[in-house]
Amino acid sequence: MRSQTPGTNVVLLSLSLLALVVWLGLDTVSLAANRIVPGTGYRIDEILGWGGALATCLPWLALVGIAWRPTRPRLVLALALVVLMLSALPAWLALSAETLVDIPGARLGIGAGIWVVLFLLLLALIELRTRLVLGRLLGWGLLLPPVASAGFCLARWLEPLALWQEYRSRSDQFLGAVGEHLLLVGVAVGTSLALGVGLALAMRRWPGVQKVGFGVLNFLQTIPSIALFGLLLAPLAWLSANVDWLSALGVSGIGWAPALLALVGYSLLPMVRNTFVALEAVDPGVVDAARGMGMSRGQVFRQVRLPLALPVILEGVRITTVQAIGLTAVAALIGAGGLGTFIFQGLGQAAMDLVLLGALPILVLALLVDALLGALTDILRPGGAE
Amino acid sequence: MTDPRRWLVPMVWLALLLAATLGMGQLEGLFRWLESDSRQVIYARADFLTLLGRHLLVVSVAAALAILIGVGAAIAATRPWGRDFLPLVSQLASIGQTFPPVAVLALAVPVLGFGTLPIIVALLLYGLLPIVRNTLAGLAGIEAGVMEAARGMGMSRGQILRQVELPLAAPVILAGIRTSVTINIATAAIGATVGASNLGDPIISGIVNGNTAYVVQGALLIGLLAISVDSLFSRLPMSGAR
Repeated sequence: MRSQTPGTNVVLLSLSLLALVVWLGLDTVSLAANRIVPGTGYRIDEILGWGGALATCLPWLALVGIAWRPTRPRLVLALALVVLMLSALPAWLALSAETLVDIPGARLGIGAGIWVVLFLLLLALIELRTRLVLGRLLGWGLLLPPVASAGFCLARWLEPLALWQEYRSRSDQFLGAVGEHLLLVGVAVGTSLALGVGLALAMRRWPGVQKVGFGVLNFLQTIPSIALFGLLLAPLAWLSANVDWLSALGVSGIGWAPALLALVGYSLLPMVRNTFVALEAVDPGVVDAARGMGMSRGQVFRQVRLPLALPVILEGVRITTVQAIGLTAVAALIGAGGLGTFIFQGLGQAAMDLVLLGALPILVLALLVDALLGALTDILRPGGAE
Repeated sequence: MTDPRRWLVPMVWLALLLAATLGMGQLEGLFRWLESDSRQVIYARADFLTLLGRHLLVVSVAAALAILIGVGAAIAATRPWGRDFLPLVSQLASIGQTFPPVAVLALAVPVLGFGTLPIIVALLLYGLLPIVRNTLAGLAGIEAGVMEAARGMGMSRGQILRQVELPLAAPVILAGIRTSVTINIATAAIGATVGASNLGDPIISGIVNGNTAYVVQGALLIGLLAISVDSLFSRLPMSGAR
């Protein structure tokens, strides 16, 4: 980018123009009298009239203007605008709820327009963050105002929001499901970390184990999760019927046992691969130097090899955890509980807000874990952040 | 390419898949033993060949579109006129891979409705990410000297793309397509819960009715399908971890 006469930021320009079209053209909310009837969609001009609708376009036009001739201060202004608009989306839902809902028990659905605009705004946020070279922490901090705004609006005005109604009618179940989900993921990742490090060490000692081990784990990874859960059903059901102590433990063809087995199986490949690569990649010169200083083999491993390999191993933990969060959702099909239960219940009852109640937290969990472990990896990287 | 033994392993898997699809009825005795309480032990609402065909159709349509759009988008973002989009596209491709495929599938339903089309769209969207990411990585991995030489030979931009960049990036792009297809075969099966009829059907219906035999039949065929396709891909020249 030239500093004197900056060229047009095509990305921001196209994002704002696209968002403007979507904002005016698609349904922003839908209203249904109860849970069974399909909702009626409302475009923004049907709620505010064309005058009001055009007034809400002003911030977008400002973004278009900034994108046309961007300078750094203007881009900062654009960033503030985007954060403001993100925070205004829940307020817009609240306003629609106040205007449209006239009978008690009516349900306000979030329309396609709002989802697409939300997506485009987040893209604009990423673009501006990259252009302005903002740090990771600040980038996340920018999401605080929208989240706070959403929380405030939910508490004050958004009682008719269908998603919120679904949550309130099963808030205990919801917390339980989040707990189950995290427990399954945690136990699976913990187990595979322990097994994975052991296996990686064995692979380093015996090349035969390496060839066979990677072969088996790669093979396992190709089998679709739903098929693996299904194939584990029969043998586990047989085991629990014939081995007393296993059935006493609660092992059966459905439930947590096949889910956990499959999760550990899937988690082992990224875990072992990263641990193995990390330990292999440690510079032999460093190890020689450590030995030369009189360190024992154990000391070299604990004080040199492991700390140097740690960031890459953590990278494995990150990949594994994100993958396990998604797979646990599928495990709900075989009765393992967790947030996937809401997804499949909702799909069965054609209750889309219930589906959202399962899918959105899974998405948020995956993104959070990814961001947290990513930040941790950066901190532990030698010569990385202090 | 010339060595026919190279294709032996994928052919064995494909033969097993076909044999299992066509001969599932012959295994009735085995499934009777597995599920002795049920009246019917072989899934009969649709025959397995039809289910396999529909599964393949959905996955291949989604894959073809994803390859077209994904490779196209990555090429566009690396040309001089599209370079502005490069940071956004590459960040989007890496953030998007954090999304669990089930969640993407579940989120597609409220917007697009039940049936085959939402599944194709969801598979397409999710399948784009590894392809875009790998195409970008493949194009970025080409040595500057090679490009310099191509330009020095007087090749036009289009020629460089077709004769230098794409062939050199092909192994990495293929690895991305492999990842994309593997995930999509699995996700399509879960699509049976949102009204698509494919190999996931016997599994879902077996779980709902408590019929283990159905579940095992569906799981066996999906497993064999995934392994056959993956093993076909593994014979192509490819590089990079999956």
